[in-house]
Amino acid sequence: MTRQFSIIRVSRGVLLACVAWVALFAASQASANDMARGKQLYALCAQCHTENGMGAQLYLAPAIAGLDEWYVNAQLLNFRSGIRGTNWQDVGGLRMHPMSRWLKSDEDVSAVAAYVSAMPKVDPPAVVEGGDPVTGKALYATCASCHGPEGQGMKTMNAPPLVHMSDWYLVSSLEKFKAGIRGWNPQNTNAVMMRGMSNLLPNEQAIKDVVAYITTLNVQEQP
Amino acid sequence: MIQSYLAQGSTYAGDIDFLFDMIFWIVGVWFLISSGVFFWLVFKFRVSGNEGTAQYITGEEKSQKRWITIPHLLVLVCDVFIIWGAVRVWYDIKQHLPEPDREVRVITQQWAWTFVHPGQDGNFDTADDIHTVNELRLEKDAVYHYHLTSNDVMHDFSVPVFRLKQDAIPGRVITGWFTPTLLGEFDIQCAEICGIGHGLMPARLVVESAADHAAWMTEQSPVKFAAVAPQVGEN
Repeated sequence: MTRQFSIIRVSRGVLLACVAWVALFAASQASANDMARGKQLYALCAQCHTENGMGAQLYLAPAIAGLDEWYVNAQLLNFRSGIRGTNWQDVGGLRMHPMSRWLKSDEDVSAVAAYVSAMPKVDPPAVVEGGDPVTGKALYATCASCHGPEGQGMKTMNAPPLVHMSDWYLVSSLEKFKAGIRGWNPQNTNAVMMRGMSNLLPNEQAIKDVVAYITTLNVQEQP
Repeated sequence: MIQSYLAQGSTYAGDIDFLFDMIFWIVGVWFLISSGVFFWLVFKFRVSGNEGTAQYITGEEKSQKRWITIPHLLVLVCDVFIIWGAVRVWYDIKQHLPEPDREVRVITQQWAWTFVHPGQDGNFDTADDIHTVNELRLEKDAVYHYHLTSNDVMHDFSVPVFRLKQDAIPGRVITGWFTPTLLGEFDIQCAEICGIGHGLMPARLVVESAADHAAWMTEQSPVKFAAVAPQVGEN
């Protein structure tokens, strides 16, 4: 009897191990498939955001390599639904809105978001001049409460990372938030909140200062 | 013929269709005649076996030349009809500007359309301008002037139901006109390759009754006005 029990116990153990292995294998396979699908779909994004996700100012496409998956996913869904990128003054957004519709399903959006977040982070060249990082550091204190002291972003606050981001895009986004070109749609609650926060930066110089400080965080994060 | 597949939604859509139909029938009839004569000649003068070989002819004899000159003259007569129709339509649509009831700005960019209505004061660039993205709402039976511009590269403002296609050229404001005659929703598309998102920039045209359009204008206006009669501005 004891021997029978132990055989049954061992068999159960083997069975459970097999089930777990199959489940893990299936999950890893699904993930690999997602990544392959994401890479395939990213070929279109690469036309503006470039192959390594560095972005290109000429096309108004910011750096996206290594951005948090949840953020890329959320923004693609926002663009697709039109709650972002449909303001008539948002030239870059009006480009991204139709391009996001190339992704036909939520699964495609997730696959691209996974692929983008897995890309190695890049440090896009600084092009914004005239910012003072010392003044910017003081101004950043408010931003840090949501975006983190190192600009790494906080999902719990729905705040994306700011490091490894194109400086011209940060400036442009802050200007758009201040002008109500972004954050005008009440359905886009996070952007509406950011619109209010952007008004704490009183002028163009303050925007440049805070972005100059964020750029220094890029450098600090490098090994 | 075309209207069987695509409704005529503007006052000049019928003229464009007439021109298309006329060219189609003239060219079609000539295609059938020339193909028929060609195959008839090939069949009639065929050579087989040891009867001989094909001959080269220089085409200098009158009996040979008339196969060219007579069809040539007849084609020229057909051309007169085509040119008459084309010039008439070109003048009516592209050169003649009837007095407008309303105006609208059409601004195109990679890869979206922005439409600007001057609002109830009838003047552009004032606080009550109404901006819409990828949706153009028009009043049925009102004569519109459109002012077409491009923010970046060449595009083409194409409204199939109006039979309207007009290139948008950066740095230029192109003015044209149309009068919607059909209620409903229709397509607007870009008909000039304008970049990777060219195929992803459709817009919708909504033609509505005067009452519905006035209600929409009032609802959309960023500045609230008392009801006033629409005016034509100075652009």
